[in-house]
Amino acid sequence: MADTPEAIQKAKKQYILIGLILFVFTVVTVAVATVPWLDFGDHGFDSKDAVIGLLIATFKASLVASIFMHLNHERKTIYLVLLISAVMGIVLFFLTGWAFVDPIEYGNTVEGDRFYNPEKPITSD
Amino acid sequence: MEIPYTVTARKDTGLFNSKVGIWLFLASEVMLFGGLFSGYVFLRIYADYPWPERALPIVPGLINTFVLIGSSVTVVFAWAALKMREWRKFQIYMGITIACAAIFMVLKGIEYKAKLEHQAVRMDDFAIIEGHAHYAVVGDDGKISHADTKTKAKKLSDSGAKPFKANAILFKPQTIDFSVARAHQPWVEAVLEQAAKRKSKLVTAEDLFLYGSIRDYAGTEQEPLSSKGRTNSEAELVAKYANAEEKAGHTFGERSLYIPAGTELSYDLVKQAREVYVSGRSHNAVARTAILKANWKKVKAARPEDKYWEQAPDARIDSATQLDEQFDSEGNCISGSKVVSVVSTLSFQMSPPQPIVIDRGWVKRPVKAQEGKAELRDDTSFNAGSAGDSAPGLLSSPLILAVDAIDFRWMAQKAEEAGKEPLEVIEKSWIFSEENKHAKYYKRIWKNHKARIAELEKELLEGYGRDKEGNAKRVPTETDRYRITWQDLVHYARVDQHEGRPPKPSDKEYADLRPKFWDGFAGPNHKDEEIHELHAFPELEIPHQKVSLQSMFTPKWNTYYAVYFTITGLHGLHVIGGAIVLGYYLFFSKGLYRRNPEWLANRVEVGGLFWHFVDLVWIFLFPILYLM
Repeated sequence: MADTPEAIQKAKKQYILIGLILFVFTVVTVAVATVPWLDFGDHGFDSKDAVIGLLIATFKASLVASIFMHLNHERKTIYLVLLISAVMGIVLFFLTGWAFVDPIEYGNTVEGDRFYNPEKPITSD
Repeated sequence: MEIPYTVTARKDTGLFNSKVGIWLFLASEVMLFGGLFSGYVFLRIYADYPWPERALPIVPGLINTFVLIGSSVTVVFAWAALKMREWRKFQIYMGITIACAAIFMVLKGIEYKAKLEHQAVRMDDFAIIEGHAHYAVVGDDGKISHADTKTKAKKLSDSGAKPFKANAILFKPQTIDFSVARAHQPWVEAVLEQAAKRKSKLVTAEDLFLYGSIRDYAGTEQEPLSSKGRTNSEAELVAKYANAEEKAGHTFGERSLYIPAGTELSYDLVKQAREVYVSGRSHNAVARTAILKANWKKVKAARPEDKYWEQAPDARIDSATQLDEQFDSEGNCISGSKVVSVVSTLSFQMSPPQPIVIDRGWVKRPVKAQEGKAELRDDTSFNAGSAGDSAPGLLSSPLILAVDAIDFRWMAQKAEEAGKEPLEVIEKSWIFSEENKHAKYYKRIWKNHKARIAELEKELLEGYGRDKEGNAKRVPTETDRYRITWQDLVHYARVDQHEGRPPKPSDKEYADLRPKFWDGFAGPNHKDEEIHELHAFPELEIPHQKVSLQSMFTPKWNTYYAVYFTITGLHGLHVIGGAIVLGYYLFFSKGLYRRNPEWLANRVEVGGLFWHFVDLVWIFLFPILYLM
């Protein structure tokens, strides 16, 4: 972390640079969503646009975390804390996947085909 | 108490304590917002209706992104200034940060306001109509007239009737039944106010006896036993009490009420009745427990050798027979000696019957003309008179809108599910039918829309060509085809009313007439003069029975707005909380700065970490909610 006056002066320049990069990428993320010739994938919003939008957002967020929040040179304790929360955060995302095995919604599936497959409609016997 | 390691680092962690604290807190925040984002993804993937993608106005969100990123830079500069011991600079940077928080919240407020004022209607054929509700007044003749603003609506009535949102229900009742327990004061008073304004009275039709405790059932004649509202003379009453008490073998409770026929409705009356009701219910609870106990004792005495579960089938402890009590169909004891019959509704006659404006948010479920009644969520019931009466019940009270978007996506989805051609179903729907007196506007809009989409299809084919199987590589989306946005409406109105020859979709001029994404700022602007002159947002009267759901853009409308308000609301609270903490450093920390500047710098660093986190959440929120 910047502690000497010289180091802080240097860091301030970096903060401005990062701020500008964030501004630019905000414009980029709006542009890929609104300008027709920057439209990836199919016409209009689709999964490719979602991936690109989220990639830009992740890139911006990692800049904020690493530079503004000084995570690029932090102590081990904090990395450990964040590792746990990151794992938990990811687990949270997949928790909703349990809906796939909801016995009310998908319980009438054939044995061995536990996940709902719309191309293989379930016929009752 | 001296808190250790506020300035210097602990040897084992290499960190000052509050930094460990804030990171632990932020770690829990990651999971909090992570859960909400996960909820968003889930709701979106499994939505059973067309998700409103890219539905929010981009400009306020974009400005807010700039504002938050900018404030992230200034807060880190404020920290750097403290490290360099430059108090003045710290003040400036921190001041800018807090100003940014204020700008963010103001923009958020503008956005929220636009949502909360925006009327949306789902019709029974799954057409979605969005717009601004007109204002209506009920004239002296009991008929409804409307205008697009409140001021204009006010001028429509000579007698100074109050304008209301033209999404209300107009009901002309013969009687109104109020639930003693649940009648909601503002609604009762609103009904009273309207009745008074239309020179009508609400009075009880027959004598009502409300008993709050033991009364006499022995005689066939039921006498008022209250000191409240009684009409009998003192002497008569004393005699009656004496007589009744003697007959029943007990004394009467105080809390009883006699409401003679012809008593006018007031909320006070409802409140008095409620006291009696509560008293009666609690009396009955006590009495019933006593009866049950006594009965159970009898059962046990009759079969002392049996266990209780063996006795149970025979133990008709709740039965009336054992106490010579008789119950009416509602389970109230009507004769016997212990339990009082509780009056739960007060019925008032409206004379003469006059229309009452019922807010659409008050009703329990959609009001159907043939049911002859409107039920409110507080169990109030408006009842129509018999056929041919002057109180027909539900009056024509259409939902009148200035329409700024029409969405056929859900209708198209339903049509496809049923194996029908979406376009056919749409074109046969109510909005284009002769039943809709404004159909010609909408036919014109639809014609323009189809022409534009045809041109778009052509352009996409020319621009991107076909794939190996001969299908166009890019085609207009469902949203393009079936959703007519406010930009479309303005665009088509400009084209139609263009000076000289209206441009064709293939002309360059045609595209130039289209509103840009920054127009309207926080959504369609109904006060815009150009839009007004063009009549770009045409009006529509949706008959009551065609509406299957109506709401503002609130969580009630769909899961999209539910998750939108939840996440952005929680984020907004974080902005406010962060600004308060940073404001504390700015305005109340000069003393600490003089005493121990390093400590303040550490505090600002910790507050700044929280602020960056708020920015970081927004960096994800902006594309997810506004651009996807």
